[in-house]
Amino acid sequence: MTTPTEIAVERRTGAIVAHVGGEVDMTNAGRLRDELLASVPNDALALVIDLSGCRYLDSAGIEVLFDMARRLRRRRQELRLALPASSPLKRLLDLTEVASAAPVYETLDAALDG
Amino acid sequence: MATARDEAGRHRDELRIRARQQEAVAGLGQRALAGMKLGHLLCEAAETAARELETEYAGVLELTRDRRGLVVRAGYGLPDGVRDAVVSAGAEEMAGYALQSDGPVIVEDFGEEARFGPTALQRRTGIVSAMIAPIGARGRHFGVIGVHSPNPQHFSPDDAHFLQALANVLGAAAERARHDEVVRDSEARFRELADTTPALMWMTDAEGHVAFVNQGWLRFTGHSLGEELGHGFELNAHPDDRDELIARWREAIRCREEFRFEYRLARHDGTYRWVLAVGTPRLVEGEFVGYVGTATDIHERRTMEEALRESEASFRDLADTAPAMIWTTDEHGLVTFVNEGWMRFTGTTLEEELGATWTLGVHPDDADELQKSWDEAVAERRPWEREYRLRARGRGYRWIADRGVPRYEGGRFVGYVGTAIDIHERKTMEGRLREVYEQEHRIAETLQRSLLPERLPKVEGLDLAARYLPAGQETAIGGDWYDVLERPDGRVALVVGDVVGQGLRAAATMGQLRNACRAYGLIEASPAEVVARINRLVTSGVEEAMATVLYLVLDRETGEVAFTSAGHPPPLLVTAEGTRFLDGGRSVPVGAVEPAVFREGTAVLPPGSSLVLYTDGLVERRDVPIDRRLDDLARAAAPEDDLEQLCDRILTRVLGDQVPLDDVALLAVRPTPVPLDRFDLSLPAEPGSLLVLRRRLGRFLHAAGATELEAYEVTLTVCEAAGNAIEHAYGPGDETFRVEAAFEDGELVASVTDSGSWRERRSEHRGRGLSIIKGLMDDVDVATEDQGTVVKMRRQLGAGTLA
Repeated sequence: MTTPTEIAVERRTGAIVAHVGGEVDMTNAGRLRDELLASVPNDALALVIDLSGCRYLDSAGIEVLFDMARRLRRRRQELRLALPASSPLKRLLDLTEVASAAPVYETLDAALDG
Repeated sequence: MATARDEAGRHRDELRIRARQQEAVAGLGQRALAGMKLGHLLCEAAETAARELETEYAGVLELTRDRRGLVVRAGYGLPDGVRDAVVSAGAEEMAGYALQSDGPVIVEDFGEEARFGPTALQRRTGIVSAMIAPIGARGRHFGVIGVHSPNPQHFSPDDAHFLQALANVLGAAAERARHDEVVRDSEARFRELADTTPALMWMTDAEGHVAFVNQGWLRFTGHSLGEELGHGFELNAHPDDRDELIARWREAIRCREEFRFEYRLARHDGTYRWVLAVGTPRLVEGEFVGYVGTATDIHERRTMEEALRESEASFRDLADTAPAMIWTTDEHGLVTFVNEGWMRFTGTTLEEELGATWTLGVHPDDADELQKSWDEAVAERRPWEREYRLRARGRGYRWIADRGVPRYEGGRFVGYVGTAIDIHERKTMEGRLREVYEQEHRIAETLQRSLLPERLPKVEGLDLAARYLPAGQETAIGGDWYDVLERPDGRVALVVGDVVGQGLRAAATMGQLRNACRAYGLIEASPAEVVARINRLVTSGVEEAMATVLYLVLDRETGEVAFTSAGHPPPLLVTAEGTRFLDGGRSVPVGAVEPAVFREGTAVLPPGSSLVLYTDGLVERRDVPIDRRLDDLARAAAPEDDLEQLCDRILTRVLGDQVPLDDVALLAVRPTPVPLDRFDLSLPAEPGSLLVLRRRLGRFLHAAGATELEAYEVTLTVCEAAGNAIEHAYGPGDETFRVEAAFEDGELVASVTDSGSWRERRSEHRGRGLSIIKGLMDDVDVATEDQGTVVKMRRQLGAGTLA
């Protein structure tokens, strides 16, 4: 049984938006990282990961966020996260201080504006 | 000894491989249906087989015309010069052996094979392992498909099943290629025949209106084609015959039976001639589309019968000038006279015929039955009528319709007088129509089988059972399907659908809709939106199609369901308190209109209840009103049954001994009951267990009244602790971990026990595990005991919590 997850990538002006839906755990975090990396071309200024459709994220998923921020920074690209205040994932992100690596916005539009 | 962990891992791999193989078979079936050329299809099958079974080589071989050899038609990875090679189809070699045993044959090591030797080809390429499956049904084999490897390889029963499924699709496609030729041939021949035959031929649409009449008919009636088209069949009938003709015609259409009626038809010169009209239902891709038929001039026969009643002498004069075939017998049934028309047909002489038995010149396959029926008729002096093949001079056997009636002179039985007419054209047409129909049926059935899930998927937290009953032989294959899929949001989608129509096209549409439901079901959360998308897909298609669909999503944790019923009968809820139909979400069938509004109904399944989804083949029957059958269904379901029993009981109670008129698909689902007071689960220490743990713990927490946020945070922390146990379960071994949870004075106490020792993880993020647990739980205690490590966590839950 594999954890059901869904990644949809779209291109917006100046940024790539990756909608991560479903659940992320240690069984599929690696695949998520690979797909996110493959989705960002060199000319994109930023990657916005939209977590509003994400129902479950564990420490392996958090690690993917840190890792992506680190890799993008080296490429002079930015990682931003979109997560509604009402999301159950909110406390996890606060607790692990994800915002120190990638700014967290409450809406996708806000994340796109930077 | 196999460990629990190996077992689970292997089971998971098998399911994944099976799912992929099933996709591959369905994909090939789709392309076959889409009309891909047979040659391309064979190549694709070879490639698919090599890819999915991970072998170096794959090939498809076709039987030569004499069926003694097999020639390579398509291959994958085959060395040069192998194409067009011919191998023996004898059972002393593997391919021939597979044909003879009519099933997949596996060789894991040719060095130890005793049943047959390797072919020169296999020797040359150094083949060690191989698996070969026959294509096509026994007696009509097309050839074989095989995979070969120079390395020793193990093939499981599932692998064999997969290769046979590919072979079955190819068999159906080969059959179809053959059948297409037959249809093209038969259509051309029909038009040709229709316009050159002196017989009167006609064709109607499904409502009984004339869609075509041939030149012979037009010559006879003196009408133009325009005057005949669109009219009822009774247009030129004698006023005295008209009412009965209409009544018989309507009855035939209603029952879709063969139509046969003698009536007087107006000729161009204004006179009426007796004709025998015979019509056969026309089926295109299994669907009734009208009748094709003939009208045979039987005026002589009728006149003759009347003349004979007047005098024997005038009868003979009349008989010899008539073009029809006429005969008489004595009271023992021996021939006393045949007319010129008969002898012209058979090329026999009067001397040969006189006193002869009935079977002179009759096709051997028809002779016995003919003699028997004749003897019986004579013994009881009953009228006699048969259709059989009679040898015609220089033209082989031809079908004739022969009829005899008893003659009496002064009240004394003196023998029979009979007339025969040539019905060869009509008869061969019927045979061809039947052949086309039977092929359709076989192809549709094969495809339908290959498209339906053979086993239901295992879905954590749900019991599932399904049944599929094909309709009786006399009707064509329908387009019913069922499906189950897990959505990314953790809910499960259940689908039951029924494509309107039957035969190949319905089965093809079914395959497309099933795949579309799977695709849209993953993207769209709302049932109404999934169905709306399907509707847009269907209405934008080239071919018209219509389907009823019940699409339902179920939340395993809460028992909440949301569903859209596009023209479909309502799902049945079976609870301990009783049964009821879920009535919401009623909408138009898919493919009816666009844009259409699709509604959504909702309900909550009480704990322990089941839901039954079905297609209308279960509840629709001509003789019983639908309401009563729905009542039968509601009464048949017993809540205490397990799901397999429930399905069986429903089928037995509702259908009884009857073979359903339409296909029946039945899908039953029941969320597995959740223990309310305590949670205790042991799982193999491997990553795949995390999902199982989350699902079960989620349902436990939900049942206990935890909020969504609380459920997430508790599940996350327990899974982080379990993740540590999994990470440290190195190497092969039967390590498991155990999760317990219970409420103590309103506080949730959860523990994760493993057999290793807690180690802080190496990488940076692993260090986060414990900090997450500490941050989200009120209290955490890690204790290393003799048997292993126990992580004990406590958390106060909100006001809604039980206990």
